[in-house]
Amino acid sequence: MMDAPLLPLFILLTSLLASPVLFALPERAARLRTAINLGMAALKVMLVAWLSLKVAQGVIYDLRFEVLPGLEFKLQADPLAILFIALSAVLWLITTVYSVGYLEHGPHRARFFGFFSLCVAATVGIAMSGNLFTFLLFYELLTLATYPLVIHCGNAEALRAGRTYLIYTLAGGLVLLLGTLGLWVLAGTTDFVPGGVLTDAAAQNPLAAQLLFVVLIGALGVKAALFPLHAWLPIAMVAPAPVSALLHAVAVVKAGAFGIMRVVYEVFGIETAQALGMTAPLAALAGVTIIYGSLKAITQDDIKKRLAYSTVSQVSYITLGVALASPIAAVGALAHLIHQGLMKITMFMAAGNLAEGLGVKKVSQMDGVGRAMPGTMLAFSLAALGMIGLPPLAGFVSKWYLAQGGLEAGQGWVIALLLGSSLLNAVYFLPMLHRAWFRDGAADAGAPARPRIGWMLAAPPVTTAVLVLVAGGFANAPFSPLEWTRFIVDIEYLE
Amino acid sequence: MTLVPFLSAVGLPLVLAAALIWPQTRALVWRMMPFAPLPALALALLAEVPLNAQAGWLILGLTLGLDEVSRLFVIFTGLLWCAAGTTARHWMRHDPRATSFGVMFAMAQAGNLGLLLAQDALSFYAFFALMSFASYGLVLHSRDPQAQGAARLYIGFVVLGELALFAGLALAAAQAGSFLLADLRGAVPSDMAVALLILGFGVKLGVMPLHFWLPPAHGAAPVPASAVLSGAMIKAGLFGMMAVLPLGSLAYGDHGTMLMAAGMVTIFAALLLGVQQGNPKAVLGFSSVSQMGIVALGLGAGLLVPEAWALIMPVMVFLAAHHGLAKGALFLGTGAFAAQGGAPGRVAVTFALLVPAFVLAGLPASSGALGKEALKTALAAGSAVWLPWLVVVLTLSGVATTLLMARYVALIWRSPPKAPEQTTPEAILLPFLALGAASVSLPLTWPLLARSLAIPVSEAAPGALWPVLLGVVVGVGVAVHAHAQRIGPAVFLSHLTAPFRAVGARAEAVMAARRRSVRRLAYAIPKTLGETAERWRLGQTAIALLIAVILAVELGATLRADTAIPAVQQIDPDLLDDLKLIPEF
Repeated sequence: MMDAPLLPLFILLTSLLASPVLFALPERAARLRTAINLGMAALKVMLVAWLSLKVAQGVIYDLRFEVLPGLEFKLQADPLAILFIALSAVLWLITTVYSVGYLEHGPHRARFFGFFSLCVAATVGIAMSGNLFTFLLFYELLTLATYPLVIHCGNAEALRAGRTYLIYTLAGGLVLLLGTLGLWVLAGTTDFVPGGVLTDAAAQNPLAAQLLFVVLIGALGVKAALFPLHAWLPIAMVAPAPVSALLHAVAVVKAGAFGIMRVVYEVFGIETAQALGMTAPLAALAGVTIIYGSLKAITQDDIKKRLAYSTVSQVSYITLGVALASPIAAVGALAHLIHQGLMKITMFMAAGNLAEGLGVKKVSQMDGVGRAMPGTMLAFSLAALGMIGLPPLAGFVSKWYLAQGGLEAGQGWVIALLLGSSLLNAVYFLPMLHRAWFRDGAADAGAPARPRIGWMLAAPPVTTAVLVLVAGGFANAPFSPLEWTRFIVDIEYLE
Repeated sequence: MTLVPFLSAVGLPLVLAAALIWPQTRALVWRMMPFAPLPALALALLAEVPLNAQAGWLILGLTLGLDEVSRLFVIFTGLLWCAAGTTARHWMRHDPRATSFGVMFAMAQAGNLGLLLAQDALSFYAFFALMSFASYGLVLHSRDPQAQGAARLYIGFVVLGELALFAGLALAAAQAGSFLLADLRGAVPSDMAVALLILGFGVKLGVMPLHFWLPPAHGAAPVPASAVLSGAMIKAGLFGMMAVLPLGSLAYGDHGTMLMAAGMVTIFAALLLGVQQGNPKAVLGFSSVSQMGIVALGLGAGLLVPEAWALIMPVMVFLAAHHGLAKGALFLGTGAFAAQGGAPGRVAVTFALLVPAFVLAGLPASSGALGKEALKTALAAGSAVWLPWLVVVLTLSGVATTLLMARYVALIWRSPPKAPEQTTPEAILLPFLALGAASVSLPLTWPLLARSLAIPVSEAAPGALWPVLLGVVVGVGVAVHAHAQRIGPAVFLSHLTAPFRAVGARAEAVMAARRRSVRRLAYAIPKTLGETAERWRLGQTAIALLIAVILAVELGATLRADTAIPAVQQIDPDLLDDLKLIPEF
């Protein structure tokens, strides 16, 4: 196989270059736009597959451009990056199909798909950033690219939500800039290195290092929706279904969680972070977020809002697994990055289908929807049961590893936390399933029969639901998300 | 050993569940439903144990297998699913929600068979969850308010049990450093892990105070579903404890004591609660709770004294099979009873129902009595402090069960469960009779099936008759009393004395008739005599005349003879003159 050192750059460019083209296309060139969208997305999946094969073989990709003396724009493709790119590439393809179906006759499609592409490019950039400076660039790009998507409908509610979103994320970005400068001052570099770059600095000046940790986690915690900083997420669910799906599964929330991973593992290093005494508070904060998000979710009647609070809760599993400072918990956390993405995107696309096909937007309207949209609801059910943590679905695997990791780290309370979270998950998801499958719809008398939604809406959630099943059922097979995370954790914990 | 037979055992029900989604294949799937457990049954009956098959890439490393114990569980569980599947096919024929029921039924079946075959904690948990969650649809099937309430209670307890189980298995696996059930059994789990596992499986077993879901759920589910819920699925709790807990190697005194105490309370409290029920299937549910109390007793004894477990274990398996078959037969029999149109059919089914009822109660030499006797023998090896109490409890449990069965038989007549409108009673009768026959013949077939595990049972004494007899007597007495209360004591007394009064009245009537006839005779005889006499008076005269004539003739003759005799010398001459005056001479 030929070697291509620029492969990471190509992957970045697939969506980055698609974006201006899509902006330039006239509104009515729907076919061409779809072709470009799908073609690029498919190309990216293939490139990512190639890249992962290479990385699995031990090839190291490292691209640097000096922007200022000592300040580099650096792209790298380590296994952790691959994990995130693979997730975003696969889900981008699926969501693109879904978006094309969803916005078939909607306005402003050129704008939408342009920013959509940009958003994915930013995500890929975040994944492959080799240092905090590059990370910051893409992080800000992501904020700016998602804003037009959130306010896509253009009504007052959307604009208000967009404003909240901007305030939160721009403030977070500003703090991240501060943190980057602080890191630059403390360590003299912003590179991501397994084992961390702050070992010496932390030993000399622990207080400054602790402060830096708080600043960085605080900045990233906005996007990761950590407890006091989560308020924008449930509001931002006014976005169109495919945007919500991508926002919750890959782009924004995961960018935050991924950033926390990078900071804990490769800026501070897990041992340094532990020595600074910062992991325990982070774990506690994650625990609070998990329970808080679930409790809030129970009270929501709007399906998408309930899902959004569920995201607040579930994404903190990742932070929790990172903060537990145990390799097994780290496997759980990384696997959950993928698993939660698959499950949540399924649920958001299913929720979008319910709204499109039946006009059902509230939990209380869900009576009998299982009969009306069996495929969609089957996908939704699989994802929901996975969230609760039933084997052999994906959510169980990450939960199991988090529990084992908690025990390994001697933190028995993690089990109680996971049980509480599972219980709350059951409390807010099972009634939805009960309504969908075991109640006869009130509207059944008129028999709206099965709404015709095109295959472009019907197939994506089913596909991701199958992936949920596969990721859990074949967790031990080579190239499963779990196997890949084990590969990563070996690197992070052996350095 | 390849995975194929195991996957087909678990997969066939799953494939059937999936195939029900398409309308074209539905009829075929329903026809196949009774045969869904056949691959598992064949595996259990034909294969040489122990068996093991691994698929490292499935879930987190799937290991399926079969050993002496799980083989027996698969056999009776498969039998129950066969019978229930046959019943379900006819029971659901015209049900508007038949498809939903079928999907849930098949999925629960896959879970139930799968958990018996699972050899690692994760796949065990997966199958356990599949079974538990799919059964929600079975409980909820009728959608009436009662079923809704039962289903809500059921799912709450299921979630509670699943959480406890997840935590328990996670702790145990972390301590054992392995997922394999065999390693979990061999490890030293913490007290917390054992407590959580007991909690998780105790919910399924229905041991008090975790039983609340069980009777309503078994009462609300349709007949074929409650048969497997009660017969097969609650045994998963027992199987789980036997598969995961370090029984026989480590002592957990506190847990054992708790479990035994809970078991003792369960046996009798279930009786007290059960007899108050108005739904015959809920009574059967409480009877299941009571029986699982016995199982909890054995498990607790095993946790308390590990040395005794080797003796207790085979008895536990036997008790599980015994209760599964008898209770399954009773539930299916309830359906068969309800499906019968007329009173003659119902009377016949009632008599047939008495057979598994008495087996369950422990009629001597039945599987119920043998199991209890064997358990008593096995417990003798355990804690000496508890033993006398255990023996008393086990003996009295026969009375309790008999009373529950009496209540059940009374209730199926008073408030029979609803049967589908159109059904074929014969088709529903058949699986019931088959299970009943299997239940009755269990003492004979068990040595063939269980081989060396059957020894404690086949050596057990036949058991005493008096508990059952006492139960019957008390039951009949209570029935009589209840009847008296219902219609009022005075009326009852009058009912009770009615036969005697009837006899008295009849006797009186006869006597009166006699008297009347005597009186009639008293009038009639003199009259007749008189008439006779009157009739006879002429004759009398005639006779008198005749007599007189004869006398006269005789006299004359005598006189003549006197003259003929030559004694004339003494006759004086005057007399001779007189003689000459009589002309005839």
